[in-house]
Amino acid sequence: MMAVDVGGTFTDVVAVSDGMIRTAKVSTDVQQVDRGVVAGAAELGVADATVFNHASTHGLNAIITRSLPKIGFLTTAGHRDIPDIGRSWRPVAALTDPSWRRSFGDAARPLVPRYLRRGITERIRADGAIHVALDEAQAREQLGVLRRCNVQGVAICLLNAYTNDVHERRLRELVREELGDVPVSLSSEISPLAKEYARASTTLVDVFMKIIYDDYTHRLDAGLRGLGFAGQLNFADCTANLIPAADAMEAPFRVVFAGPAAGTVGSAHFGRLIGEPNLLCADIGGTSCDISLVTHGEPFVNTTFELEHDLIVNALSNDISSIGAGGGSLVAVSPSGDITVGPGSAGADPGPACYGRGGQQPTMTDICLIAGLLDPHGFAGGKMVLDQQLAMRAFERLDTPLTFEHRVRYAWDIGLNNIAEGIFNIAIKQGIDPRDYALVAFGAAGPLLLPALADLVNVKRVVVPPHPGLFSALGLLSADQAYGLSQSAYTLLEPGNADAVAALFESMEARLRRRLGTQTDVAIERAFDGQLVGQTWETPFVPVPAGPITAATIEQMVENFHQAYAERNGNRFASIPVQGVTYRLRAVVPTDKVTYAELPERRGAPLRPVGTSVLRYVADAEELAQVYARDDLCAGDEIRGPAIVREALSTTYITQNQIARVGRFGEIGIERIR
Amino acid sequence: MSNHSFPRPEEPTPRQAREPVAGRCDACGESPLMRYPLLSEGGWYLVVKCQSCLHSQQREKWQRLGHVTLLTDALAC
Repeated sequence: MMAVDVGGTFTDVVAVSDGMIRTAKVSTDVQQVDRGVVAGAAELGVADATVFNHASTHGLNAIITRSLPKIGFLTTAGHRDIPDIGRSWRPVAALTDPSWRRSFGDAARPLVPRYLRRGITERIRADGAIHVALDEAQAREQLGVLRRCNVQGVAICLLNAYTNDVHERRLRELVREELGDVPVSLSSEISPLAKEYARASTTLVDVFMKIIYDDYTHRLDAGLRGLGFAGQLNFADCTANLIPAADAMEAPFRVVFAGPAAGTVGSAHFGRLIGEPNLLCADIGGTSCDISLVTHGEPFVNTTFELEHDLIVNALSNDISSIGAGGGSLVAVSPSGDITVGPGSAGADPGPACYGRGGQQPTMTDICLIAGLLDPHGFAGGKMVLDQQLAMRAFERLDTPLTFEHRVRYAWDIGLNNIAEGIFNIAIKQGIDPRDYALVAFGAAGPLLLPALADLVNVKRVVVPPHPGLFSALGLLSADQAYGLSQSAYTLLEPGNADAVAALFESMEARLRRRLGTQTDVAIERAFDGQLVGQTWETPFVPVPAGPITAATIEQMVENFHQAYAERNGNRFASIPVQGVTYRLRAVVPTDKVTYAELPERRGAPLRPVGTSVLRYVADAEELAQVYARDDLCAGDEIRGPAIVREALSTTYITQNQIARVGRFGEIGIERIR
Repeated sequence: MSNHSFPRPEEPTPRQAREPVAGRCDACGESPLMRYPLLSEGGWYLVVKCQSCLHSQQREKWQRLGHVTLLTDALAC
């Protein structure tokens, strides 16, 4: 098994064979991303792999940076500003700011400029009836404009098309006749859900991803086959579930936000192994800290996600919050004289001052070096030597009357508090008590920073998994293959409508079975998003009983809705009728997952440190910390803080009042000494 | 009294004259380019637009009252 997580700077590759985990880290070639992936695959040897699971952020980066192909957008006449208006939500900070503009609006950086958004004369009513027939002559006229403008693809999103797709399908035929074989996405196929804006933005993103990923997938597939790979190429979706590449390219909007989700799925899988079903997952890299939640062994899943503020995509996605706090977070002095840390980051270039690449501002990494936590000669697997003098000079340059010791100490405390606040906000938002949750620390900087804030967030314990620096890539080998289908149809849930709901599920199941192909023994789970009559926001993922849909099933669906509603909102309104809005199917094909080798228990000589390090500025007084090599650890070992555990791509810091116990899968569990 | 009142407009609707501009559209290659003021998100602009595809060839901020700046214009910068 092999997996690759393509980031903006590095491409992480992991291979698992015979219980052995091997890793490679190669630079991402932003001009031709597949080159880095194939190079990493060649380094580890892909010929014997049965699956190659892939997650990438380069589609997401293309949207964020607007490095996008030129496409056209067709919608019902009079509604071409749907992608510009969005949901008209403003961020709290902009509520009283008249100069605020949404990032994807016409006054900022639209995904599709207004002149390429063309209105089509037609109208379908909310019940699916045709109110105005499609004016084909007018449509051809508009397509002629797009042809003259040389668009590379077309997104089609007509009003109410999720109830009747006849005009969208005919428009696609006209596109083929007028523009030739360019990628076309129909909202009624991509995201047949109510609410026009989300459907439109999802369809737009889908066309972009078709253009960006189509050639890429062919080049990647050819490159891997050229190395002798004969297995299955899968793409991860936004919940890090795996989709065969050909199926993923049918609706590639699902893969746009795959990378961050993999760490959550990897945590959930590892949590099941070590008996920790409730997890707060924190992935700290150079720039950001991505925080997510796993409850009862399952990641918290949303029905939509935002690429930018109010730029939403209708795709199931793991709920991940990012805060600007990482190893590269910049330390600065505010105009009022306060020390601040983040959200700005030194990034990879120039990077922290201690990298010696010209960075002048101190960062969290510089603090860790000055404090004695990082080994200047062992950073990034020994590929980089850090310069402590440059780190110290960066702190000396800060324009503040504080002493050097106070500058470093305050910055350390503030940096940790920023992360703790982010984790606490997630816990409050989701209504969980951190004392019931273990904090999984991964990403290169996670094990270094997170144990030190365990007291601040009051978690049960901190767990550092094996290979924390590449844990997101390992997450891609921890997921199942999953197929999903969603369809909106406003239906009052009453016994008389059982046949309508049954017919809808039957047609959806037939479509899903076609996608499953020869995999006929796969169980299909049903669910629906519902609302109380009069509401406009749904309660998602209400379970639907298996078996034929009868009047009794409908009654059970209503009861399930009231239960789910009460769990989410604390109230139950059993006297108000329930309306089904979106119906969902999910089929999970169990796949082989990464297995973590069990560590042997220690026999003979006790665990010995490989050295010591004097720690400064991270506690009230200097401390002498024992330094251990992670490769020396055995199951059952105990390490009392202050201590440091070093490995190739990460460092774990155990503070003075903590004890670390090594679990049987090599995980380091860190708790307060009671 | 009549000296102080404006005459009833003779045109059924107000109309902004569009000034033809030489050249071809960068986006679609057609030639009917026109310059005229346009109200958009962010205020008034003087634009040169292709009349075929409505691509904005040029777009500059425009003061509809000449040198007079309204407070609302100053706010919506």
